[in-house]
Amino acid sequence: MSIMLEIENLQASIDDTPILRGLSLKVGAGEVHAIMGPNGSGKSTLAQVIAGHEDYRVTDGSVLFDGENLLDLAPEERARKGIFLGFQYPVEIPGVNNAYLLKAAVNARRTYQGQDEIDAFEFLKLAREKMSLLDMDPGFLNRGVNEGFSGGEKKRNEILQMALLEPRLAILDETDSGLDIDALKAVAKGVNALRDPQRSIVLVTHYQRLLDYIVPDYVHVLSKGRIVRSGDKSLALELEARGYDWVQEAVSA
Amino acid sequence: MSAAVLNQDLLEAAVGRLAADGLTDLRERALVRFGETGFPSVREENWRYTNLAAAVELSNAYLSDAPGAISATNVDISQLNDDIDAHWIVISSGVADPDALAALQDDGIVITPLSESNDSDQVCIDDPLSSFNAALLHDGLRVRVAENARIEKPIGFLLQDDAAATAGLSQTRIVVDLGRNASASFIELHRSGGDSAHFANSVVQMELDAGASANFVRIQERSTKHMQIGRLQARLQENTTFNFTTIDVGGKLIRNDVAVTIEGAHAVANVCGVYLADGNQHIDNHILLDHRVGPAVSMQDYRGIVGGRARCIFNGKALVREGADGTDAEQSNRNLLLSDTAEIDTKPELEIFADDVKCAHGTTVGQLDKKELFYLRSRGLSHEQARILLTRAFAGHILKKLPIENAKKYIDQLIERKLDQLTGDTDQ
Ligand SMILES: Nc1ncnc2c1ncn2[C@@H]1O[C@H](COP(=O)(O)OP(=O)(O)OP(=O)(O)O)[C@@H](O)[C@H]1O
Ligand SMILES: [Mg+2]
Repeated sequence: MSIMLEIENLQASIDDTPILRGLSLKVGAGEVHAIMGPNGSGKSTLAQVIAGHEDYRVTDGSVLFDGENLLDLAPEERARKGIFLGFQYPVEIPGVNNAYLLKAAVNARRTYQGQDEIDAFEFLKLAREKMSLLDMDPGFLNRGVNEGFSGGEKKRNEILQMALLEPRLAILDETDSGLDIDALKAVAKGVNALRDPQRSIVLVTHYQRLLDYIVPDYVHVLSKGRIVRSGDKSLALELEARGYDWVQEAVSA
Repeated sequence: MSAAVLNQDLLEAAVGRLAADGLTDLRERALVRFGETGFPSVREENWRYTNLAAAVELSNAYLSDAPGAISATNVDISQLNDDIDAHWIVISSGVADPDALAALQDDGIVITPLSESNDSDQVCIDDPLSSFNAALLHDGLRVRVAENARIEKPIGFLLQDDAAATAGLSQTRIVVDLGRNASASFIELHRSGGDSAHFANSVVQMELDAGASANFVRIQERSTKHMQIGRLQARLQENTTFNFTTIDVGGKLIRNDVAVTIEGAHAVANVCGVYLADGNQHIDNHILLDHRVGPAVSMQDYRGIVGGRARCIFNGKALVREGADGTDAEQSNRNLLLSDTAEIDTKPELEIFADDVKCAHGTTVGQLDKKELFYLRSRGLSHEQARILLTRAFAGHILKKLPIENAKKYIDQLIERKLDQLTGDTDQ
């Protein structure tokens, strides 16, 4: 099986504060990985570094996507190659129409792949289809991007974007936080619909509950900028029962 | 630097050359009044950012042989009619085409040349630019909207007054009355006819009687050789609504004075603006909202996008006088700076002498939000695309409130073109 994402000894800082301190992770094509870990351990930092946020400075290590160095690429180039980040805190962009952004995003990816741009009719049809899968009111298309959306609605909107973009690697940063049970099921449905031997999914979550709906192949624990333990889905259950202390202790011991 | 002074003798001679008509008496009074003040200088607080020396110099040169009479210019407005559906009246140097006035026969509205309206005492000469304007008027327009009349189609004034190939000076005056419960929409469009230097000085007066409502959109797309001072003053009686939006994309030196006086309870005044400037443009927006009676509501909402070496000024004031209890006055001015060499001066002012007053103001000067940029780029949009989208959205905040639907498409395209120019500039 081919490796899609390969992270080696990644070190990254923000404002000269080291956050990631030698993180290594391999994600194979078709796999689902869950990343758990205490607040402030660096989960979102990892997600943002993979997506190309320019505030983080990579000081050492490498990130390969399909064997290609990702760190030299602009965020939009990464997106066009099929990397998708579902934000922990999606930003509100008043005045930028949600449908407009979705269509521009789809077309950016299509153009990169050498396909024709999607026309308005085809786009609307596709968007409606995905929205009904996610139980989303089509009215959200005509609003500003995340403008005035509730917490859960923002998360659903992230999944809608993912569903339309059909990324090869989706990193979902706490997409399950703040969701009611129906929304959680809808989001899980959206993610599971995407599961494919050619796609990989990285779920950042605090709750083992999500993993009942999206069953991961691997679970990792991130602590102080490093992966300190990896296992299968039973690790999530163990963490739920015992908290993080024992993993962290086991490492420092 | 010594301030340029307008030559009063030249002015007097130029006024003297104008034909005797219904405005003669007004011109004489205005001439005297102007002689007492002259042009404002940068030493005055209200004018400290805008130096009129170049305008004064051009005026002196022009006045030395100003014509005694001019005739209405022929401007082909067929394209304009397609772009914005309105009753268009072309005004050059204050003079409108009489045929256009005759053709305008909406029930409830009468527009006549100011010189024939027999009420030149209504023409305001209270400030230096207004008295300079009145002294040199070839003519003006008197607009009356009858009680209870609802004028559906906007009345458009096209100010295009530089047909001559030489540097010019022009005065435009429009005096509008809306009767009780009347409603109407107005568009004031400023354009350049040629490529010569010009100083345009316009004054629009609006009187809204009780229950009346007016929408007013001003679009300024003059050439960058033009200087323009525009004054709009409105007096609002009880239960009136006044929605004003000004769009500035052109001009070399632009100064807008908007003065709204609330004289009746339950009046609502929305005063909004967008200014986009680059190169060496200078755009100065001054607003005075004078709350004399309460309760009443006013909103000032201006946004600017400024690049190159342009300089823009926002000075909005809400004055809540004694007795104007229950006033709600809000001010907002936000700016995007697209270059290090551009400059913004933003100065919201509040003076409150009444009780139970709600006032809020906020101003910002900044760059595009980095989080928003990253979000868009993470979806595959190029940096350039993301920047244009966010810049457009920034101006869109005002445009989506545009009070005259007919003008929307035209303005969107105008802004789009200017934004292309502005966002292109920063790539260099
Ligand atoms: N600008 C900054 N300067 C210094 N430290 C920062 C800065 N930005 C983030 N950090 C720190 O980086 C650490 C990692 O943050 P990150 O958001 O990656 O954590 P997380 O694992 O996603 O936490 P959570 O579970 O709460 O979402 C935190 O301790 C945070 O305070
Ligand atoms: Mg996080």
